[in-house]
Amino acid sequence: MKKNLPFAMINAVRKLVSLNMLKIGQTLSVRELSGPKDIKYKLYDLGITKGVKLTLISKSPLGDPFNILVRGYNLAIEKELAIKIKGTLL
Amino acid sequence: MRVVLVGNQNSGKSTLFNLLTKKHQKIANYPGATVDFMEGYTKDKSIHFTDLPGVFSLTPYSPEQEITLNYLLNQDYDLILNVIDVTQLERSLYLTTQLSDLDKPVVVALNMSDILKQNGENIHLETLEKRFGMSFIKISATKNDGIFDLLCLISSKDYLKHKHPLYPQEIETEITKIIPSLNTDNKRYYALKLLENHESFNDVIAESHANIASFTTDLYEYLAHHRYNFIEGLLKRAFVKLTKYDKRTAKIDKILLNKYLAIPIFLLIMFFIYTFSVGFIGSRSVDFMETSIDNLSNFLRTWLSGLNASSWSISLLVDGVINGVGTMAAFIPQLIVLFIFINLLEATGYMTRIAFFLNKLFRRFGLSGRALIPFILGSGCSVPAIMSSRTIANKKERDMTIILTPMVPCSAKLPIITLFGSFFFKQYAGLITFLLYLTSILVILLMAIIMKYLFKVKTTTGYLSEMPTYKLPKPKYLFRDVINQVWDFIKNATTIILLASLVIWVLLSFNFKFQYGVPIEKSILAYLGNILAYLFYPLFGELSWASSVSILQGLVAKEQVVSSMKVIASVSNSSSILTASVFTFFTTASALSFMIFNLFSAPCIASIAAMKGELGSTKKTFYAVLFQTGFAYLFASLIFWILHWGGF
Repeated sequence: MKKNLPFAMINAVRKLVSLNMLKIGQTLSVRELSGPKDIKYKLYDLGITKGVKLTLISKSPLGDPFNILVRGYNLAIEKELAIKIKGTLL
Repeated sequence: MRVVLVGNQNSGKSTLFNLLTKKHQKIANYPGATVDFMEGYTKDKSIHFTDLPGVFSLTPYSPEQEITLNYLLNQDYDLILNVIDVTQLERSLYLTTQLSDLDKPVVVALNMSDILKQNGENIHLETLEKRFGMSFIKISATKNDGIFDLLCLISSKDYLKHKHPLYPQEIETEITKIIPSLNTDNKRYYALKLLENHESFNDVIAESHANIASFTTDLYEYLAHHRYNFIEGLLKRAFVKLTKYDKRTAKIDKILLNKYLAIPIFLLIMFFIYTFSVGFIGSRSVDFMETSIDNLSNFLRTWLSGLNASSWSISLLVDGVINGVGTMAAFIPQLIVLFIFINLLEATGYMTRIAFFLNKLFRRFGLSGRALIPFILGSGCSVPAIMSSRTIANKKERDMTIILTPMVPCSAKLPIITLFGSFFFKQYAGLITFLLYLTSILVILLMAIIMKYLFKVKTTTGYLSEMPTYKLPKPKYLFRDVINQVWDFIKNATTIILLASLVIWVLLSFNFKFQYGVPIEKSILAYLGNILAYLFYPLFGELSWASSVSILQGLVAKEQVVSSMKVIASVSNSSSILTASVFTFFTTASALSFMIFNLFSAPCIASIAAMKGELGSTKKTFYAVLFQTGFAYLFASLIFWILHWGGF
């Protein structure tokens, strides 16, 4: 059922969370990116596009950056950037 | 025929390039190891290869990625060889979709295909070829598999040449409309750029903008999304199991990136590397080489006297050449060990993890997490270290790293530490070495904070870095890299040192009337040194021409400091440096001050040249060197007087 709902309605049902809120092992389905263009474009190029699933694998011992699994590869991403990636928990 | 190699970092591009051209190039695992691009030929010189810096898209995010884009757009070549890590297909093919916008034909080499076979997976190449309109070929650069087929495909020019449009119809229509108004090569690429950047210079393009605005506000995002969807769909049809997360890497990361263990493990590894290479290997090899050189000197002296050789020619050979060059030879064993470890850290993928967990710490000091790579390489030699800072995208962060890297104690500064350490601190020499390294880290961080305010560094684009899977490097490549690095060092060092040693010998053995055999105190060098000694008085509390001259020699090369002292000691008939009459004034306090000044003052000429190259400005380089030397001078004097008054 949910699959046929437009994004806006899903968002109304399920609250958007940003990547930095994830616990280790949780997966996020990306809905929106914010921030300056060049950073957004870099994230798109790296495969963080709308609808993609990100799994938080681990955090740096100092709490930042995060080690995430996206499109079959590992990406280290700073908290500052992780905040800009929002989506729904799976 | 000219072929360019393009691919992601860690795609095995450099390994393939080495196989194709047999020309040496460094392989490493941290992003952007290929700093300058490399060129080479096949054996019969029929195919010319260019290895461009690794990129993950055609949008440049660092100066070296810009090199790749500019080369692809503006240089003359016949074929793009896109190298792909087959275990990272989804992300790697993204670049392929962008390469398809360029004019030149593309051959895609699916590297590491042996791993695919191991996992019982397969790819239907024809599906990929049909959809892209490019030739795909499976290879394995590390197993030397499929390389001959690849070369045949390239030289026969039997690859697919008509690339298929990959974008939705509404985009392709606009591209087709814009192309006639463009007057360049790579029209598809530029048409898309105009649309993405909302630029237009005629009505046709303006109209296209309007058409595109009806379905997307951000074409870049739209296309990125489309490209990835296209790849996902294609991989499903080509019967590829989408790549899974490497389980072994996950297990290793659990330990090495563990919240509590990561930093202790890192410190332990670094401590082991330095105690082993500097302490264990270093002290033994220095002792061994010094005895051997003494024996050789004595043997030559007796032998040549027996042949009735003139005393000045014996002195030239023994005191000038053998002692000067020999001292450098003494620390080659530890250099080899150090290079092996640094290369291992790089090639296994651990170096990226170090940057990963130190990033937050480094950012506080206005430095990129990636600055650690030059800093660690800098413990070997500042020259390649300074050059490796090119992977840092932000200019200010990069400049800071370039200026700070020479303050990392490089291996050429080790003989200074070893010499004074073992003489004044005996069994605590290892501890002193460790403390000096620790001091240099603290100094670098302090300098970073000062520069952060001087340069007004603001928090910049966030840290994003691929975490490569752990790999066991091939010993063959590892040792070849080490041998090459050590050989480069020997080649550079011997010529400079031989020349410098001869100059010192002349200045030391003659007086201003050019009479040979004058006492050292009457030599030209002593005269020059006596003037310099006033400048260095605050460092030693003593007017010492011999140490002043040796410090100056450090400008030529840091290993020159000790060999200069050795030459001076040798001419004054002392077999050990610090027991020579000109050096007996050294106390614990002035020894430490001497070490500290040499650690932080202006680096050698070669490093200054590298700094100038990377900073891109003579003025900046001058200020940087002045900054380093000024700091070293103040710090060393301070340490000396505090310890001196403390009675050391």
